[in-house]
Amino acid sequence: MASHLSRQVDYHGEHLTILKDASLSLARGQSLAIVGASGSGKSTLLALLAGLDRASGGEVTLFGAPLSTLDEDARAALRLSRVGFVFQNFQLLPQLTALENVLLPLELAGHAGAEAAARAMLARVGLAHRLGHYPRHLSGGEQQRVALARAFVGEPALLFADEPTGSLDTASGHEVGDLLFGMNREAGTALVLVTHDMKLAARCEQVLRIEDGVLGGAGA
Amino acid sequence: MNRFPKAALALRLLLREARAGELTVLALSLALAVAAISAVSMFASRFERALSEQAAQLLAADLSVSSGAPSPQSWQAEATRLGLSLAHTTTFPSMAGTNAGVTLANIKAVDAAYPLRGELTVADAAGRERVLAQGPAPGEAWVDARLAERLRLKVGDKVSVGRLRLTVGALLMREPDAITDMYGFVPRLMMAEADLADAGLIGPGSRARYRLLVAGDTARVAEFGAWLKPRLPRGARLENVEEARPEVRVALERARRFLGMTALLTVALSVAAVVLAVRRYLARHWRTVALLRAQGQSSGAIGALFGWQLAWLGVAAGVVGVLAGFAVQSALAAAVAPLLSLPLPAPSAAGVLVGFAAALVLTLGVAWPPILALRQVPALAVLRAELPPPRAGVAWPALSLAALLLLAALQLGDALIALWLLPALAGFLALAALMAWGLLKLVRAPRVGRRPGWRYGVASLARRPTLALAQIVALSVGLFALLLMTVVRADLVGAWQASVPADAPNKFVINLQSDQQAAFDAAFAKAQLVPPPTYPMVRARLVAIGGVPLDPTRYEDARARRLAEREFNLSWSAGLPQGNTLSAGRWWGAAATPQFSVEEDIARTLGIRMGDTLSFESGGERFEAKVSSLRKVAWDSFRANFFVLAPPAWLEHLPASRIASFYLPPERERFVGELVHALPNLTVIDVGNVIAEVRAIVERLAYAIELMFVLALAAGVLVMWAVFAATRQEREADMALMRALGASRAQLTAMLAGELAFVGAFSGLIAGAGAWAAGAVVAVKVLALAHWPALWLVPGGVLAGLVLVFAAGWPLMRKVARVPPLAVLRNEQG
Repeated sequence: MASHLSRQVDYHGEHLTILKDASLSLARGQSLAIVGASGSGKSTLLALLAGLDRASGGEVTLFGAPLSTLDEDARAALRLSRVGFVFQNFQLLPQLTALENVLLPLELAGHAGAEAAARAMLARVGLAHRLGHYPRHLSGGEQQRVALARAFVGEPALLFADEPTGSLDTASGHEVGDLLFGMNREAGTALVLVTHDMKLAARCEQVLRIEDGVLGGAGA
Repeated sequence: MNRFPKAALALRLLLREARAGELTVLALSLALAVAAISAVSMFASRFERALSEQAAQLLAADLSVSSGAPSPQSWQAEATRLGLSLAHTTTFPSMAGTNAGVTLANIKAVDAAYPLRGELTVADAAGRERVLAQGPAPGEAWVDARLAERLRLKVGDKVSVGRLRLTVGALLMREPDAITDMYGFVPRLMMAEADLADAGLIGPGSRARYRLLVAGDTARVAEFGAWLKPRLPRGARLENVEEARPEVRVALERARRFLGMTALLTVALSVAAVVLAVRRYLARHWRTVALLRAQGQSSGAIGALFGWQLAWLGVAAGVVGVLAGFAVQSALAAAVAPLLSLPLPAPSAAGVLVGFAAALVLTLGVAWPPILALRQVPALAVLRAELPPPRAGVAWPALSLAALLLLAALQLGDALIALWLLPALAGFLALAALMAWGLLKLVRAPRVGRRPGWRYGVASLARRPTLALAQIVALSVGLFALLLMTVVRADLVGAWQASVPADAPNKFVINLQSDQQAAFDAAFAKAQLVPPPTYPMVRARLVAIGGVPLDPTRYEDARARRLAEREFNLSWSAGLPQGNTLSAGRWWGAAATPQFSVEEDIARTLGIRMGDTLSFESGGERFEAKVSSLRKVAWDSFRANFFVLAPPAWLEHLPASRIASFYLPPERERFVGELVHALPNLTVIDVGNVIAEVRAIVERLAYAIELMFVLALAAGVLVMWAVFAATRQEREADMALMRALGASRAQLTAMLAGELAFVGAFSGLIAGAGAWAAGAVVAVKVLALAHWPALWLVPGGVLAGLVLVFAAGWPLMRKVARVPPLAVLRNEQG
């Protein structure tokens, strides 16, 4: 949950406010879409919610832990154990195979039996036959499915998705959207989805609109 | 108004970029290549000029004839007939002594006419230098600084040479023809030829070298040379400047090859670093260019702007590189010059020009073409993030590399060497690349554990195989060279010394005359020492093998040619000497007929087989016999050993001297003085001193070469930096993603360290294994030591590689580990 979040940046000695007094809360297993135009502050909000950036004011509480009290490593540890990510540009490591990319968060967390879990997750997204392929040999849709497998393999309690279909054609976008919501339901994961695709946003239980750094309710 | 607005703007932009650290690698790579080329150019040209400018002085004459016997009257008569001036010198090793002790000196007796060309420089008691056209007067001796130091001599002191006591008249600072001397490393004593007979130092079998010096009208000198050539006896040599001190030439030539090889290596690595740095430059600037295009700048204007920046950079790199090159060659010259007793002329302006030419080729040929390609960036690139950055062709950099290598190779002054070096360099780099490639494949195939740090390290290298290879090869060749020079050399010298037993003879006595045997034994007995066995020694020339006259010129091998030209030391013995074993034939019995036993190595070199008849000449007498056995000789036993042995009685009537070797405990050193006092014509050679002198020479040459290898290693580090700089953005993106996925700082550090560890370990492994193999080849094939370099060279190389890579690379990598996770979302914006 977030309360009264704000973010200012100094630019040439001038204070610019890019997020103003944003508050929201999300219960376990719920889904929330944040929609808004480019530059409206969506990504800033996402970064603050996920602990990738520090707020100038207000507080983000994840799983009962106020993020402002955690240092960079503690926030990373929280993400590692409870949070998953899906990005617009997939963000797969090009030097690792599909399997190795999915293994990465498990390995970082020191999980036993990581490989079996990663294989199962890739099978779940329909890529059991492409385990040894490198990202450059996969289509955009396939890369995003690997990213979904990577996001869900650690069984996160909360998933952040930043424009997950933004770089995909319509057909692949549908496929990935279906997978995202399907897997989310199966795993009972809470979902924060940032998008400008209203159709995708509409599949969430809650939709919030952001404009010029101001968050407003939009209803489902 | 500024007539070159673009030039001024370019300079401002360049300074800004330099401040931001954008140009560090590019500028350093350019400067390093310039430094390497100009250092070798200046160093080589100084030696060239030292050798050629002082041509006549080097011989102290226009022509000199050197031989093992005084020159016949007929030669002198002919020279006089042609109106040429003549001078004589006689050089030989002998003992010089004072109350402080005795030491081996390289005696040079000169007549009043010496030197015919050049001058002698001496210093008086106060250290004031004087230039003289004549050698010491009778009764006087001039000593060099080394001898003065060893015997604690001052001007005015007395010094004993043979039966004479001479007064030190001056300190000898420089003599024109020192370079022609075989025993350059032994301290010098110069005396008057008139005193030679009284000193009683020259007897049968003594190792004196007689030199007849001739000077005069060039045509007459040439006429004399032509007259003399067919009349020269074997072992006599006509010397002109080109032929003076062939071993110095060979040593210099080898040093130059090493230096040239290193310069080529440094240039090749620097060019690789420049290419990589330019790659980063393009990646960082092409969007700027798109923006300039969008704002209406013409491609010409953009070309001029970047061209000027590069020109400024080239000038700066040229200046810094030439200055660095000057410093390096000064250090090289300081290290090597004392070995050659040769004043070096100042570096020429040509070296500076060569340095700037290299800077020009580097900037115009290697850096300019890809940067020129920036002009083709379309304005549309401002809007279209997916447009790829312009690709630079490889033709220009490849051509430029060839031009630079040629430039560096030409500095070696010998096109043949260049032709030989370039493929050697290419082969060397290819071999290192092959090994690096194999290692990368090897660790890629099986999974290396489960630790993400290691996994990521290997995966990162495999992601950019070309860059990984470039780094590993660049670092490993630099490391290889240094390891080989420092570790293997020390190891081999150590092995050689260890192969000498502690009580091995440490003194050799030569020039002992047969009628002095009783006095010699008595001197030992008086000192309560066991008199060592002495062996007769006859100097004889091999004139025919199997009835075929020996023609030294028909031997391809330089060593065989030398052996065929020189006089052999023949000896006789009833039994097989200690340390000798028969490898073929049978040893003669008590009443043996004339026959020879030949050392197997020289037999192989000269093509002598069992049963061949050998013909020798000594003192005008010819004698011959068949080879009845071949022997293996333990040369490093430091005992008196002989190539050719005969049974006793047969050769005893020939003029012979005797030789002995013995072990003298260090605390009995005074005995040498007593022995020489009793028998002034004896020459006692301290093996330890000789080894120390030779070792000092090797150390100095090796130091000079190591200096250049440090340059090559620096170029290797630059390549690594260039790779890091070129891949920094990719790495930062990776790290930001990992951070977003929850990796801790420690895990990121482990991943980056993992990659560095692989680069360091692989480079070190290749370097260590290479140095070990090369060291083994040198030990076994070249030095004939039954010694393999220590195997720890391989793990030691790995450790050195790790230390080097972490020391040079970690400061850059550490910054990447600090990238905030927020960057992952910034990357999302493209």
